[in-house]
Amino acid sequence: MWVWFAKLGSPKWFYELSTKWLPWLVVATVVVIGTATVWALLFLPPDYQQGYTSRILVVHVAVAGTSLAFFPLMAVAGTITLVWKMKLADMVAKNAAALGAWFSFITLATGSIWGSVSWGTWWEWSDSRLVSMLFQFFLLLGVVSLRSALEESDKAAKACALLSIVGCINVVVIKYSVEWWNTLHQPASPVSIESGSANGPEFWIATALMILGVYLFLSLSLILSTRNEILMRERRSLWVQELMSTEK
Amino acid sequence: MKPHRRKKLGSILFIALGLSVAAGLTLYALKQNINMFFTPSQVAGGEVPKGQHFRIGGMVKDGSIAREDDSLSVNFVTTDFISEVPIHYVGILPDLFREGQGIVAEGVVDTAGVFQASKVLAKHDENYMSPEVKAALDAAGTSTEGSLPSEGYKPQY
Repeated sequence: MWVWFAKLGSPKWFYELSTKWLPWLVVATVVVIGTATVWALLFLPPDYQQGYTSRILVVHVAVAGTSLAFFPLMAVAGTITLVWKMKLADMVAKNAAALGAWFSFITLATGSIWGSVSWGTWWEWSDSRLVSMLFQFFLLLGVVSLRSALEESDKAAKACALLSIVGCINVVVIKYSVEWWNTLHQPASPVSIESGSANGPEFWIATALMILGVYLFLSLSLILSTRNEILMRERRSLWVQELMSTEK
Repeated sequence: MKPHRRKKLGSILFIALGLSVAAGLTLYALKQNINMFFTPSQVAGGEVPKGQHFRIGGMVKDGSIAREDDSLSVNFVTTDFISEVPIHYVGILPDLFREGQGIVAEGVVDTAGVFQASKVLAKHDENYMSPEVKAALDAAGTSTEGSLPSEGYKPQY
């Protein structure tokens, strides 16, 4: 287990392994997101209250759920950076922050559009779910700017790691905001296996597919940007220079 | 694991735990401020100071909507199935507004005890279903919307 753990910390090993897996990941991402999109746009039944507006929720729920994974991911990577000083973990954490900010932004944007039609408002400052999600967006932007503000990369890595661990508290607040307090935002839907009942499979299968697709997309983007980061940081090492000379 | 790493991991966990407890206590203390709205029961129970601008959340009582023919003025009653508060509003209502629907209204209670709303928002509960399913459930009398059919059901405002 420790050998495997130590190996994972090697940028070279990660780069070579990801080169092999990348094409499969691209195919899987395109197929799953494509299927989920077509399904959501053509086959998802209208909701009895909202009509076809509910289709936007397929994207909103998938992206929102996935956006909650960023702080835990960055906290785990940050802890590994702080305790074991693993270079790869910090590269992943660095790229995850910017990506997470985008995910949070898309969550807020799609939710806002849906809310403008269904609730009758684009934004409500009094709703704890909405505000805590906005807070996550700003926190992630904060992590990104903290990284660029500190010139010494070692210090930046440590500061960002700590902020990421702190940010996990907000994830719990986002998740349970709709249960702890009364909000305009609806709570998470219980899934029903029975067809022809509320929240039946005809509603959630497209969303489940979209969640899988968005996670695949997250992994793909993170791996691609981490590969760039590896090449940047290891540009003076022998294996990167060899790789560059063979690719030309 | 080497001792210095164990120590570092320990201090990280300690910081995380301390911050979580601090955040938890803060949020608990602010509970009433974070809640978006008062329920009709809280209003009836006198928990809202008189003359204060606040939000109220509840269901639109079945058969309570009365519109005026020559204006956008509308009267309805909001309920949490324990207490009721009459609401008066002038303006365009959201698409989802209807009887049995959860709503949140913003405004003040006037001297007559009527809530004068300056804004009305509609809530969507966590149940999504197609019109056919809704019709079938209504026919079977098992729809949860707008009524309290069973024990343990938490009304969604």
